[in-house]
Amino acid sequence: MVVAAGLLGWGALRLASPPERSEVRATLSAAEALAGGDTAGFARAMEPREFIFPDDHGPHPGYRTEWWYLTGHLDAEDGRIFGFQLTFFRNSLSPEPPDRASAWSTNQLWMGHFALTDVTSGTHGYEERFARGAVGLAGATASPFRVWLEGWELAALGPDEAFPFRLRATLESGEELELVVEEGRPPVLQGDRGLSQKGPEPGNASYYLSWTRMPVRGHVRIPGASTSDPAGLPVTGEAWMDREWSTSALGEMHLGWDWFSLQLDDGSELMFFELRRSDGAREPLNHGTLVAPDGRVIPLAADRVELEVLDRWESPVDGTRYPAGWRLQVPDEGIDLTLTPRVADQEMNVTFRYWEGALEVSGRSGGRAVGGRGYAELTGYAASETRPPS
Amino acid sequence: MSDLVARATRRHLVRHPWQLVLTLLGVSLGVAVTVALDLAIQSSREAFRVSSETITGRATHQVLAGPSGLPDALVGRLRLEGGLREVAPVVEGWGVHPDQPDRPLRILGVDPFAEAPFRPWLAGGPTGEVDGARLVTEAGAVFLSAGTATSLGVEAGDSLPLRIGGTQPVLRVAGVLDPSDALARQGLRDLLLVDLAEAQDLLGSMGRLDRIDLRIPERWRAEAGGEAALLEALEALLPGDARLVAAGTREATMEEMVRAFDLNLTALSLLGLLFGVFLIYNTMTFSVVQRRRLFGTLRALGTTRRRILAAVLGEALALGAAGAALGVALGVVLGRGLVLLVTRTINDLYFVVSVESLALPPEALLRGAVLGIGATLLASIPPAWEATTVSPREALARSTVESRVRELVPRAALFGLGLLLAGIALLALTSRSLGAAFGGLFAVLVGLALMVPAATIGVLGVLRPLLGRVAGIIGAMAARGVVTSLSRTAPALASLVIAVAVVVGLGIMIQSFRGSVVRWLDVTLQADLYVSPPGVVANRPEGRLPGALAAVAADLPGVAGVSTYLGTELVTERYGMTRFVALGLDPRGERSLDLMEGSDPAGRAFERFRAGEGVFVSEPFAFRHDLGVGDPVAVPRDGARGGGSGGGDPGGGVPGGGARGADDRRTQDFGGETLPILAIFRDYGSEAGTVMLAREAWDARLGDAAEAEVTSLGLFFEPGIADDPVAVERIAAGLREAAGAPLEIRSNRDLRALTLEVFDRTFEVTRVLRLLAFVVAFIAVLSALMALELERGRELGVLRATGMTPRQTWGLVTLQTGLMGAVSGLFALPVGVALAAVMIHVVNRRSFGWSLDMEVGLALPLQAVLLALVGALLAGVYPSWKMSRTAPSAALRGE
Repeated sequence: MVVAAGLLGWGALRLASPPERSEVRATLSAAEALAGGDTAGFARAMEPREFIFPDDHGPHPGYRTEWWYLTGHLDAEDGRIFGFQLTFFRNSLSPEPPDRASAWSTNQLWMGHFALTDVTSGTHGYEERFARGAVGLAGATASPFRVWLEGWELAALGPDEAFPFRLRATLESGEELELVVEEGRPPVLQGDRGLSQKGPEPGNASYYLSWTRMPVRGHVRIPGASTSDPAGLPVTGEAWMDREWSTSALGEMHLGWDWFSLQLDDGSELMFFELRRSDGAREPLNHGTLVAPDGRVIPLAADRVELEVLDRWESPVDGTRYPAGWRLQVPDEGIDLTLTPRVADQEMNVTFRYWEGALEVSGRSGGRAVGGRGYAELTGYAASETRPPS
Repeated sequence: MSDLVARATRRHLVRHPWQLVLTLLGVSLGVAVTVALDLAIQSSREAFRVSSETITGRATHQVLAGPSGLPDALVGRLRLEGGLREVAPVVEGWGVHPDQPDRPLRILGVDPFAEAPFRPWLAGGPTGEVDGARLVTEAGAVFLSAGTATSLGVEAGDSLPLRIGGTQPVLRVAGVLDPSDALARQGLRDLLLVDLAEAQDLLGSMGRLDRIDLRIPERWRAEAGGEAALLEALEALLPGDARLVAAGTREATMEEMVRAFDLNLTALSLLGLLFGVFLIYNTMTFSVVQRRRLFGTLRALGTTRRRILAAVLGEALALGAAGAALGVALGVVLGRGLVLLVTRTINDLYFVVSVESLALPPEALLRGAVLGIGATLLASIPPAWEATTVSPREALARSTVESRVRELVPRAALFGLGLLLAGIALLALTSRSLGAAFGGLFAVLVGLALMVPAATIGVLGVLRPLLGRVAGIIGAMAARGVVTSLSRTAPALASLVIAVAVVVGLGIMIQSFRGSVVRWLDVTLQADLYVSPPGVVANRPEGRLPGALAAVAADLPGVAGVSTYLGTELVTERYGMTRFVALGLDPRGERSLDLMEGSDPAGRAFERFRAGEGVFVSEPFAFRHDLGVGDPVAVPRDGARGGGSGGGDPGGGVPGGGARGADDRRTQDFGGETLPILAIFRDYGSEAGTVMLAREAWDARLGDAAEAEVTSLGLFFEPGIADDPVAVERIAAGLREAAGAPLEIRSNRDLRALTLEVFDRTFEVTRVLRLLAFVVAFIAVLSALMALELERGRELGVLRATGMTPRQTWGLVTLQTGLMGAVSGLFALPVGVALAAVMIHVVNRRSFGWSLDMEVGLALPLQAVLLALVGALLAGVYPSWKMSRTAPSAALRGE
């Protein structure tokens, strides 16, 4: 997810996009913005650090990019199944805020993505929003914990602790999601004690933490759906949250990435990402983490994981082909899993186009049959936002 | 046979080159003036429309700020509580480059990240690229179009010094937009694109937005009643003095205001064409009259009437087409000059518009050509008819023409009288229609023109014995000659009368207007010293001064009292664009309001005004909305709408009024609350209309929304101070120190001079048109009289042969043309005064709502009569010179 947001965020903000729905047209390409770009004046992720809460729940404006990235699966009382993604991307457009007196003055730009997948009906609704981090339109605070972009927000229920927090998001078409999110398992420090290296050069790294299994409960409202509860359809489920901040991550040779977060029903979780290189070689920096049922954290270096694409899906927008089904193996741990998208079309046709969707997981782990759920993010396959031919 | 007719008519034209040239000149000038003005007006409108569209973009609705502006937080409320996604805040203002102080630059402050749905040109495409990140993060960053950058002499990376109100910030050109299409270039002309935060900093409007653009999603519009319900819900979120209007409402209101101005100019240009028509009629009549013998001969040889009619009309068509083509070309050239004058006037009077290039819509050019050709054909129908209806034998005799014309004279006069009366009736029976005013004006003018020949016969009948006694036989012959060749002299006389009358009439109108303004200024400018923030556009202060400055000013030694003035231009549903003024009136300044008759007794009106019991409105406001003393006017106030919570409500709002219907809302400005009109004051400062409220009442109504600011101060000195430059300078210095920013401080006399300067500038277009109309008329007269005298060559030859000396010939010709000049000058005076009266009391009032005092004076009429005389005399120079050089025998031999 790491990189994902990396490209997304900074790409999207500065990115060129087609007129109809575009944001600001920028002169920098995504690669420039991310890989090279002007990092002067920004803080860099050079070495492992100590994470201190509640401060680190809040923003780190000295770093160029940062995100709060939630995905999860929900089960309704009536048996319906939903997947959701809610992401807040923060971007410092410059190292220092401009010297202006106006309340609108800021160097912080926020982008939000919200997607709701109705697995039962096979539909996927999503939306993208932008706002500047000024006059209360968008922002983040550590204490009390709150991240918001207009009406989308994560907000602590109590004054001191970040958890539990309330998650709220709506789509313009009327769907609403309201959840109470608990911490569940303590955060996993990804990479080297939370320093996740993305490129060979020092500083091309991010600080990366994951909450891998957070119990959630709340309501989903679908317009037109009749429910006995006026608040909507009661749901319970489990979510995954990535927190990551960095200034520069990707190398220039990277085309995109495939990222996976899996929650297995034996009580373990697995994160793995694969950077796809333009020279076709396997990227040695790829890595992941396995959280054992007992809470043990096992780092997964690139050479310990094998990933094979089983199927492809063609986007109806322009025929872009995405991988759509994998076999993921970690031979050392006896893990052999088949990952299948729960709905084929979970493409996010936004400023920076990508596929992010709920997965069904089945296979074996440690010699025993396991099932589970997951999320995958696939970037770099399609050109930027494309309007379907009308 | 057909060849013969064609050759004969062509030959005639070639043999009279002067006539040909003058006709072409007359037609083309007439067409040129109308085309030029049409183009100038259209270009300024188009420029306004394009720049409005560029700036309004694709918004469906707009929230317009009230006197206190819109709070920053409203953007979030509209997005959150209003549920709208597409919400774009805008801060707008004006600045100038210090080296080009007469060129207002529009500062447009936007949030680039909210812009995409609204102003796609910000998002790239044909206009180039705006780097939103730089706009947001670099203090002083500005984007502008390549054309604007070039004319300001800056490139990307350069610093751009500005003067905005009292400040002199220096911006940095972050990038240059190079739109590939002309429309976008026009839209971006003189536009400085900055970040919203930058705009608030530059314009000093912290926490305040000028407007918020909205897009109502399709799904609301699709549902029946959905949009109305949404709009009502949104409106409930707005501060009390803000308004939610459909996009373009503001611009439409502004365009509406300019319409009367445009119509006035168009009418003036049509006058130019009218002279052209006179000229054509004259020439065609003349050329037909000259060829009666030829036509008679052709008819006798068997040519059909139809053939001759076709030949004459064909000739007219050819002339008209050539003249129209020339005229259109000339009009385009002239238009380039006129557009500058027109836009400057619009800038002075209405709003800022900057024209990138003269628009050349084909339909405008076509309209000019059709008008010219049509007018030519129309004007040549009577003579063509005349040429074909007479019998061949009659046609050979000259005298029959004149006797027929003589018969026509009383009929024309009668018809003219009818037209005159119809015109007067039209003027008297309508009260508001501007079209009717111009229709009536033209009817009066043409009616009077038709009566000219009859009047000429009458006057010359009286003059002839007199002239005989003074100038002998030559004098009597000159007078008689005018009457006996009436077929040719009548059109010339009529057009000379109209031309002079127009010059006199317009002169009197402008003079009266100016006189009224001067008197109004004398009354209005009562204070000794006027203080305002430095403005960008003459007449309209953009910035504000801290309200505390008034108290500081009052305490300065030598200052006896201070009046404060806070003006805000608001667009309301019912009144359109209106200036609302909060007036803190010092008792010394009471006389400065020139209250009109029908107002409350002055003392009582002021007392009630101070108590906030009512408002004063300007004359144009009262006229435009048909309001009188005692009528109610909606006035801004703060507080909840629909009688809900909040707000000190002096009128006792309806408690729990609940939701109002959407239709209801349209007529309910400011919650539908009104105050009565206490008095109507004269005001030539703004034709948009002004509503004045006492400052204390304004503050009470607006509560927190009222800003402790003023747009200008008027200082009253203690006796003797005004004549003491040192004391005045000390006061000015005290003010500047207290303000901490540059101030525009003007004495009573300076402000008066400045206002008159603007006034004179706004009348420049009228003056130019007046001159052009006169030039066309002058040419018409010159050509008619010259042709007339040349045509009399044979007659003069007989006189020479019977013993008249060249000197006497010269005297006869000069006397005759001079006589015509004098007579038309004489007639032109009453016609001109009548014209002025109609323009002052009907056209101006209906166009702008102003009443003016008419002043005729002496100098102007005399000047005009002199002009007529000189023109007429000049016309006689060439013919008499030619006649005196021609041997009588040659003249007698005829053509």
